[in-house]
Order: sequence, then structure tokens, then C-alpha cells
Amino acid sequence: MGISIVVTSGKGGVGKTTTTANIGTALAMLGKKVVVVDADTGLRNLDLHLGLENRIVYNLIDVAEGTCRLKQALIKDKRFDNLFLLPTAQTKDKTAITPSQMQNIVETLKGEFDYVIIDCPAGIEHGFENAVAGADRAIIVTTPEVSAVRDADRIIGKIEAKGLDDHQLIINRIKYEMTKKGEMLNIEDMTDILAIKLLGIVPDDEKIVVSTNRGEPAVTDDHSKAGQAYKNIARRILGEEVPFLDLEDENTGFFGVLKKLFKR
Amino acid sequence: MSSINIKGYRDGLKVYVNSCSYQQLREELAQRIMRARDFFTGCRMYIVDEQKNISLDCYREIENYLREEFGITLLYQKGDKEEKKEKIFSGIYEGRTKFFKNTIRSGQRITYNGNIVVIGDINSGAEIVANGNIIVLGTLRGMAHAGYNGNKRAFVAAYILQPSQLRIADIIARSPDERTEKSSIPEVARIKDDIIIIEPYLPNKYL
Repeated sequence: MGISIVVTSGKGGVGKTTTTANIGTALAMLGKKVVVVDADTGLRNLDLHLGLENRIVYNLIDVAEGTCRLKQALIKDKRFDNLFLLPTAQTKDKTAITPSQMQNIVETLKGEFDYVIIDCPAGIEHGFENAVAGADRAIIVTTPEVSAVRDADRIIGKIEAKGLDDHQLIINRIKYEMTKKGEMLNIEDMTDILAIKLLGIVPDDEKIVVSTNRGEPAVTDDHSKAGQAYKNIARRILGEEVPFLDLEDENTGFFGVLKKLFKR
Repeated sequence: MSSINIKGYRDGLKVYVNSCSYQQLREELAQRIMRARDFFTGCRMYIVDEQKNISLDCYREIENYLREEFGITLLYQKGDKEEKKEKIFSGIYEGRTKFFKNTIRSGQRITYNGNIVVIGDINSGAEIVANGNIIVLGTLRGMAHAGYNGNKRAFVAAYILQPSQLRIADIIARSPDERTEKSSIPEVARIKDDIIIIEPYLPNKYL
């Protein structure tokens, strides 16, 4: 029996879908059988992040309505044979599926896969209820901004009320320079407010935009810092002890190296 | 053209509904019946609504109204032989056509029992489903499904044909993963030997 993990945040645009795509791919790279489920009906994007948008024939809503079998809606990734996508419909809205239907689908998927990763839509309405319905664990994504932290706090309250106590935090888009100067919330502040276990820190990386547009998750790029962070997160999900990335390493380049030399 | 046509058949009268609202249908129907009240009283009537404009609730309301006012029994159109014969839409050379004069955006789904002509673009994430042909006077980036109920001779034509996915009848084709060069001329997709092929539109060829 596999584990289902919902990736949620409350606020939009903090990187839920990017996180889902990257963790899913990273777990598949580590040899696990993974399915990523897009629960953002009507505003689906996970297919684009994985570059599978032109393969969609059936979707989550078709499965819920009984139009097709679950197997027919699963799309195999083009890079990894053990990674699958369950897309959702773009032309329906979030009320097209109920939490109990979602729960059944996730239960069935758990029988087939090691990890079922659900990409939750922004907000705390019907779409959120659906995404959380079948989840065993939750990953909360936030960015170092007060609004994202407040929304994450709200979401943690919501999922705790549902009895979903196994939750961890990913802080996305950290800019080391800015946190050092105190212009951005630092990691301690955030873990202090949210009071949940930190699963990973992902540095801000311009390359993410490129990888999203190309439909190639950052973890497939060996030189990507964000990709490395997501790989570490995947290993932590598997239970390994992996130290957090040393964000100071961002100071590469000529002056960065010089500075480092003088620091010693 | 009036919004309804009434035709007599062996097993009753058939009311063919052209595109009209429920209000229009009800008014027109009442008018027609009033004109020849004696003829209609106590007869059996079917409503044939191919475009499915009339919802089930409205249908029930009409049913009650006709029974109380004129003693007409309204029957459902299920299992009709004539409908079955017309199962595969055959009007791809000449038939019903719907025109859309705007951009069809992500999340919008257009279906029509006939041909569809879009004067505008179809964006990625939009779906166009026609039982006949699809013609786009713009860029087709979304999903287009021609010959939805089985006509394999249906085609999809667009000024710029860049669909994420193309379907004709029961055959599906998807765009290649690597970026291909944009075609500067219109293209036509159709089925040949059970696969979807895309041909450049050369005016002389279709003369």
C-alpha cells in the first residue's frame, strides 16, 4: 500500500505545482513508482510542468463519472517509466467531483503506486477539500513573504482540523542575499510561526521558469540548484537524513570566491 | 424560418425544434395548437430536439401544460428509429454549420452536432468537438475533434494548425514533443489509411 501526499499552500503562485512535479519526478528517479494527480480542475497546469499536455485523452473527472477506467486516464511520463500523471479536466469546474469520489480514486491509486502526490489548487474551497480528502500526509509550500506565511498558517489549521497531522513545510524561493540582509523573512522566523517540521528549503532559481516552459522538471537538470533541493526533499520523504543545502554556496563567481577566501 | 416544424407520422405528431429558447418553443407551440385546436386535441406528440436546447425540467413543464390544456400526450423521443439512422453525422459536404466569431479560450468547450467554423483563434486548453468538419480562420492551439460520432471523412482545417491534440472520429494524434517549425500556410488534417495526416492547403488541390 502506498502513501498519498497532498501538496498545498493556500496562497496561489508559491510553487505547489512546481513542487509536485519535481518531487514526483525525483521520487521516480529514486526508483519509486509514483503517480502525480492534478486536483486543480479547470486551471490545470501539472501536465505542462511535465510536458505531457498533448497526451491527455481522459482525466480525473472522466474517472469519477465512470466514462473511463482509471488505467485509461493515467499518462506515462516520457522520461521515466515509473512516473505517471493523472490529469484533470480543463473544461469543467471543481464541483465536478466530490471529496468521497476523490478519496476512492486515491485509495485505488495507493494500491498500485508507492507514492500518490496530489497537486492542490489555491484557496480553501471545494478544490482544496477534494485534494485533501484522500491524503495521508501533507506538504505545505510557502515563500518568505508574510502573505504566504499567513495563508500557510490558515491551511495548516484547516488540515489539522481534518485530522491530517502528518504535515511538513517546504520554504520555496529563498533568496539568500535578501534573508541575510533581513529584507526577507528568514527560515527561523517562519518555522517559529508555523511550528511544523521543515522538510526542505528551495532557493530561488530563474531556471525554474525555463524548465517549466519546456516541460522538464528542474530535478532532471544536474546543474540546477532548485533541482538539487527537490532531490534532497525526495530523499527526506523516503526517510533519509539529508543535511539542508548550504545556501551560502550561492556566492560563486569571482568575487564570491574571493570573499570566501578572505573570510577564512 | 419558424422555430418549430410539426410533421405527422404513423405513431403521432413530431415537433422538430430548431434553435430556439424554451420560451419561444412554448409560445409557438401554443399558437400552432390554437390555430387548429380540434385537430390537436387528444393526439400523441413527440418533441425532437436535436440541439438539446430544451432541458428536462422545461420538457416536463411543456408536458404538463399540453396535457392540461389540450389533452395531448407528450412522449419521449427515446429509441426512435429515425434518430438511429442518422447516428453518424453525414453533413460534411452540406449540412448544419455553426459559426463562432471570437477567440475560444482555455477551459471553453464547444460542441455541435454539425460543422463548426471559428473566425478567431482556439487557444491551448480549449476543446472544439463537432460531429462534422472544423474550420478555423485563425490559429488552432487547443484540442479539436472532428467527426465526433464516427464520420471518418471529416476534416480539420486551420490557418495555422498547431493543435496539442487532434482527433478525427476515433483516431487520436498528438503534436510532436520537440518543437517543429511553424507552417506559414494553412493546413488540413484528415484520415488516410487509419492515421491522421496533415497536408498543406494548396488551393488548386481542392478545386
